[in-house]
Amino acid sequence: MPTYEVALMLRAMPKPELKTTLKRISHAIFDRGGIIRNIENLGFRPMPYKTTAHGIVHREANYFVFKIDAATKAVWDLKEEYSRDVDVIRRRVFKSQDTCDNNCTLEEELLPPAYREDVQNMIEVGKTQVNRFTYKFKYNSGLDYYPFQK
Amino acid sequence: MSLLKTLLTRYVLPNTYRATAVRFTSSDAKLSACDDTPVEMENPYKKERRQCILCKLNIKPDYKNYRLLSQFQSPYTGRIYGRHITGLCKNKQALVENEIRKAQNCAYMPYYYKDKVFLKDPKLFDPENPIRSHRF
Ligand SMILES: [Zn+2]
Repeated sequence: MPTYEVALMLRAMPKPELKTTLKRISHAIFDRGGIIRNIENLGFRPMPYKTTAHGIVHREANYFVFKIDAATKAVWDLKEEYSRDVDVIRRRVFKSQDTCDNNCTLEEELLPPAYREDVQNMIEVGKTQVNRFTYKFKYNSGLDYYPFQK
Repeated sequence: MSLLKTLLTRYVLPNTYRATAVRFTSSDAKLSACDDTPVEMENPYKKERRQCILCKLNIKPDYKNYRLLSQFQSPYTGRIYGRHITGLCKNKQALVENEIRKAQNCAYMPYYYKDKVFLKDPKLFDPENPIRSHRF
């Protein structure tokens, strides 16, 4: 089962209600055979832009991130269930990425253009193409009329 | 008088220095007279390999860390700064842009401005002095 991150925005509500909502959300995951690795609370804060959900305009939200292990097919089901939940303003599921390679290629990118590999490749590709600016139509093409507009 | 002075400094003084230098090293030279061949060594003047700030500090851009990501955003228009301004490598710039787009979509970060709480954050780069010139 791949690890996913479910970013949820819950509407502004008192603590006990929030508790039941979170319980409902996590039970939805457990019902589909998923595991919750951890729950992050990013706090209650005003949203950078207002959002309409279930007919109400929301300007503040409780931000939560669930890190879950679930089957790929269950994720679609979860998203559908949360979309029907009136307490959830917005939900986004991302694949969790933990690894990050640190082989920096900045030195090669700062070289003069002629020494850069991508520029050299571009020149090689350019050699195989017809140059639009210097191309001249040859009249010995076998046609007895000029095929283009003059 | 001045001519004499310049002549003295040019021809006489260097010779005396050389003489003293020879006197000091003559004892060592006797010990290892045969191996005064050039020593094989790495280029001591070789410059250090440059790295972008995220690779140097080993930071992985993450959409939840929107404070870091907002530093790569214009405070006036919310536009993501390009690689020629941020000075990141291709790999990290693509990651940062991707994570910013995620954060904006999750409503962690605004699209059209920078959060006013983060306006006084330290500047990682100067948008007025890009590495390569741009048309704006
Ligand atoms: Zn880098």
